[in-house]
Amino acid sequence: MNIFTIHLLLRTLRLSSPIALIALGETYSERVGIINVGVEGTAVLGALVSALVSFYTGNAWIAVVAAVIGGGLAGALHALWCIQFRANHVVSGVAVNILVAGLALFITSALWGSRGTSASAPTINAWYIAGSALVIVILSQIFIFRTKWGLRLRVVGEKPEAADTAGINVHRTQYIYTIVNGMLCGLAGAYFFNNLGYFVNGMVGGRGFIGIAAMVIGNYSPIGALGAALLFGFADALQMSLQGYIPSQISLMLPYLLTVLVLAVLIKRAQVPAALGQHYVKQ
Amino acid sequence: MPEYAVEMRGIVKRFPGVVANDGIDFALERGEVHGLLGENGAGKTVLMSVLYGLYHPEEGEIVINGVPHRHYRPARAIGLGIGMVHQHFMLVPRLTVAENIMLGQEPIKSGVLLDREAAVRKIGAFSQQYGLPIDPRARVNQLPVGEQQRVEIIKALYRGADTLILDEPTAVLTEQEVESLRDALLKLKDEGKSTVLITHKLREAIGMCDRITVLRKGRVVGTVHAKETNERELAEMMVGRDVVFTVHRSEKTGELETAMTVEGITACDDRGIDILKGIDLELRRHEILGIAGVQGNGQTELAETLTGLRRTTGGRIWLGDSDLTGQGARAFIDAGIAHIPSDRHLRGLVMSFSLRENAILGRHRESQFSPSPFWQKQGAMTRFTREIINAFGVKTPSAGTLAQNLSGGNQQRLIIGREVTKNPCVIIAAQPTRGLDVGGIEYVREQLLKMRNQGAAVLLISMDLDEVLMVSDRIAVIYDGRIVAIKDPESVNRRELGELMLSGSVSSEREAGDES
Amino acid sequence: MLVRETGVTLLSISLAFGIGCIILWAGGYSIPAVFANLWKGAFGNKISIGQTLTQATPIIFTSLSFLIAFRCGLFNIGAEGQMYMGAMAAAVVGIYVKLPGVLHVLICLLAAGAVGAAWGWIPGYLKAKRGVNEFVTTMMLSSVAVYFTDLLVAPRMFLHDTRYGSNQTVRVLGTAVLPKLLRPTQVTWAIIIAGCVVLLVWYYLFRTRSGYELRAVGQSPSAAEYGGISVKRKIILSMCLAGFVAGLAGAGEVLGTHTRFISGFSPGYGWDGIAGGLIARAHPVGVLFSAFLMGALRAGSMQVQRSGAAPGDIASVLQGLVIFFVIAPTLIRRLIRWRRR
Repeated sequence: MNIFTIHLLLRTLRLSSPIALIALGETYSERVGIINVGVEGTAVLGALVSALVSFYTGNAWIAVVAAVIGGGLAGALHALWCIQFRANHVVSGVAVNILVAGLALFITSALWGSRGTSASAPTINAWYIAGSALVIVILSQIFIFRTKWGLRLRVVGEKPEAADTAGINVHRTQYIYTIVNGMLCGLAGAYFFNNLGYFVNGMVGGRGFIGIAAMVIGNYSPIGALGAALLFGFADALQMSLQGYIPSQISLMLPYLLTVLVLAVLIKRAQVPAALGQHYVKQ
Repeated sequence: MPEYAVEMRGIVKRFPGVVANDGIDFALERGEVHGLLGENGAGKTVLMSVLYGLYHPEEGEIVINGVPHRHYRPARAIGLGIGMVHQHFMLVPRLTVAENIMLGQEPIKSGVLLDREAAVRKIGAFSQQYGLPIDPRARVNQLPVGEQQRVEIIKALYRGADTLILDEPTAVLTEQEVESLRDALLKLKDEGKSTVLITHKLREAIGMCDRITVLRKGRVVGTVHAKETNERELAEMMVGRDVVFTVHRSEKTGELETAMTVEGITACDDRGIDILKGIDLELRRHEILGIAGVQGNGQTELAETLTGLRRTTGGRIWLGDSDLTGQGARAFIDAGIAHIPSDRHLRGLVMSFSLRENAILGRHRESQFSPSPFWQKQGAMTRFTREIINAFGVKTPSAGTLAQNLSGGNQQRLIIGREVTKNPCVIIAAQPTRGLDVGGIEYVREQLLKMRNQGAAVLLISMDLDEVLMVSDRIAVIYDGRIVAIKDPESVNRRELGELMLSGSVSSEREAGDES
Repeated sequence: MLVRETGVTLLSISLAFGIGCIILWAGGYSIPAVFANLWKGAFGNKISIGQTLTQATPIIFTSLSFLIAFRCGLFNIGAEGQMYMGAMAAAVVGIYVKLPGVLHVLICLLAAGAVGAAWGWIPGYLKAKRGVNEFVTTMMLSSVAVYFTDLLVAPRMFLHDTRYGSNQTVRVLGTAVLPKLLRPTQVTWAIIIAGCVVLLVWYYLFRTRSGYELRAVGQSPSAAEYGGISVKRKIILSMCLAGFVAGLAGAGEVLGTHTRFISGFSPGYGWDGIAGGLIARAHPVGVLFSAFLMGALRAGSMQVQRSGAAPGDIASVLQGLVIFFVIAPTLIRRLIRWRRR
């Protein structure tokens, strides 16, 4: 194993972690029936909040916590829109992305005078977040398939009526796990910030969507999401290693092209939760 | 111990535009099987849903085991010993029986993990005690309907139900399975459970219940002892007038030429499992061919293959000289096959479209509506829709009203009008009277007979055996994806039909086979 | 019905602006100054109005693009990429093909539309035949398109204009240029074309057989199938049409505003198109209004930025807020009911 390969491997593990977190988050929310394409914007929000809080408090750990909370709030907003106001799930997610994009530009301009870029701020080692991603994924696999809460959340996404008549509060479950989704995306955003040291527009760069693709390929399970995330993380890592050898545009294109190809080839009409995207009305 | 397991007094439940329960008094004695009888829309399910906590009544009192309760949700009802088995099962198809049953009351080991073994053991015990055989480890989507129902009953018992509410339990069962259910109910009585049986089937109400309460239009008509009444009396209480039990078919006129031939059709269902295993049928002009069978034997898929909505994996479909095998819905429509779909919300109408746009669905390519791909004649569409509205009695403010704003009966009238005015040579009618009131049902049957007299070949698929017997000229029994018999409704006996529907053969034939 | 829908939209806009005011106030900015500059930048004088219209033009196309797909039940969020591909095609045909005046423009437009349609075909095909989520694929292909076109005009590539350092092509031939309409503003014939396309799209969706089938698939694929409509074909068709219209957006920019292909020419018109389609409640004629609103916000934001009253991006925030309110019909209805009590 030469130094190039080791670097590639380490990079793969690191770069997969935000994708894995996002894919896991989306797994939670889609398993309770809520589609959330706003994961991209939520991750951006996480990164922005990290930069903000780290800049003003000087404490990068608190910044991580703030990012998670911020992500959770975004998740709550999306959940509110979908559940209470019956917005179309995908449309609401798109709205989150647009709103966060605007907010990011505005806040960076307002606070640092530079459109889309923040000042540098203290960071923690991004490996902490990458490591915690692995732990969270494993715990989630046990949680979803081996505990009673996992059983209940799965039923909510498959057949909310069955959950309701069994005495489970469908809407509350949906709120909870969409907020969990937001929190995980916020954590992913914190990764992006801590990896770079400042916030810049485009730092998430579509990885929210790649996370959704990873969830689909991973067949709605945490371990599957992790596996798919590793694949995409590898593409990301490869792209970085290839820079300088091939035109940057081509290497930058790679992760996106790969996502399309993988989806085109590997997709199976599989385990989509039966009640995904529906607005459940209880009496 | 209070004499009554449940008392409901003066229950009023309103929905937008309708009073579903209008001051209902209902009392369930401990240890009895009490039938709740009424037509579709009489308010039976609503009343029991109120009892179960799914709905909150606007007025009225609910007393359970001598203690009044108000404003509770199903979780509380379960705690009070009330269990409900819904008409449409509340089971999660992808999960196992055990997972479905233990939902909400999961046994735990090691503090956080599900104890599946404990659940399986407990379920097994219940299964034995009440004589309801099930396999806790099987996935629900692989079970036959009768077994799914047993799962639902055990689910209620597992949660400690003393009072069981069964909503139309026999709708999906054959005669033999109904017998098993009756035995199970007797067992439940022995164990001290009280049961409410919601049904619209007179025979079962009398055969399985101790007392029967009849509801009509949200009010109680009366409560009688099953032994002291008969079907005719109950029917009158249900609909308020002398009910005609048979429809008179006119004699077959004209030549019985074959319109459509189906040879050896095989097909898979949505899960990829073989559901049709070799269907042979002949649809003849001036004839209604009824398909009798228990739900789940391939009726829905059969209708879909005969209208181009499902790919066949083998066999041929002929319309006269044309081979329609393997073609899509459009080819079938163009060939003159009309389809009254079993699910009008999913297939028959685009609910958010106006009546105008729905009236031409399937016919929109005809030159009277669309002379070229670039031009749709709006005026012609409106005129045509108005004609259907008038001719078929669709109650609607205008042709521009959205389909979703019409009642089920009027939606069905529009669909029938649309299909019938095509002057089709073949009509595939799948569950055409489902969810309609008595007036709607009579109307639909009338229209089918009219088409038959005018020379169309009609295929009627219906879960209602009475309807099939009443309307058809010939009856084909479908079992396990095959046509196992074709009978004459005038001469067949119900027990034989039941056996054919359940087991695919008649016991006398089976015995003869054993001896040889 | 139409009146109520418009009322809901207007109410949403007011609510969004209200919250925008709160944000400005929290940031210590002068609300009157911001709104004054917003207005000035959008409608203050002929130049401003010209700026509004110029910005609105490509958004009309991208909004229609989102709308066409939406009407078929699909989410096309790749209009940005389809626009870039179309722009590149328009530039290539505009530079290298020699044709007389109007014909040249027409061919350029068709080329742009065709390439945009091809770029839309990919996710359409994948969705129809393989069931692949189109919002992920359109998003991915959008990024690919931006990088790809950037590569084509990079230094040492064939299309690069060697006189300049930045990634762009040479000017298109005079016969391919869309003439300016309102001197001294930047408004070109592109806006007229956009208006025509709006009418065409309306006519297509509501007065043709194909449009009827497309809408049926969007509302109820199972009923459409029952009616003999090929759902798969309509999915592919709608994505092609969506891509075509987005490609026209690119053509308008290349042939009109810039007269060449410049890498990164779009400040996000594709994304604005999503907003525009949503705010227009997926109605073609509503797009004229929503695109105009987006254009006004963009033009206004530039003035706000220049004046220093606040960061110009407040307009993006406003845009996001408007969408949020527009997409929740029950929210607005509840607020109205609550007001009435």
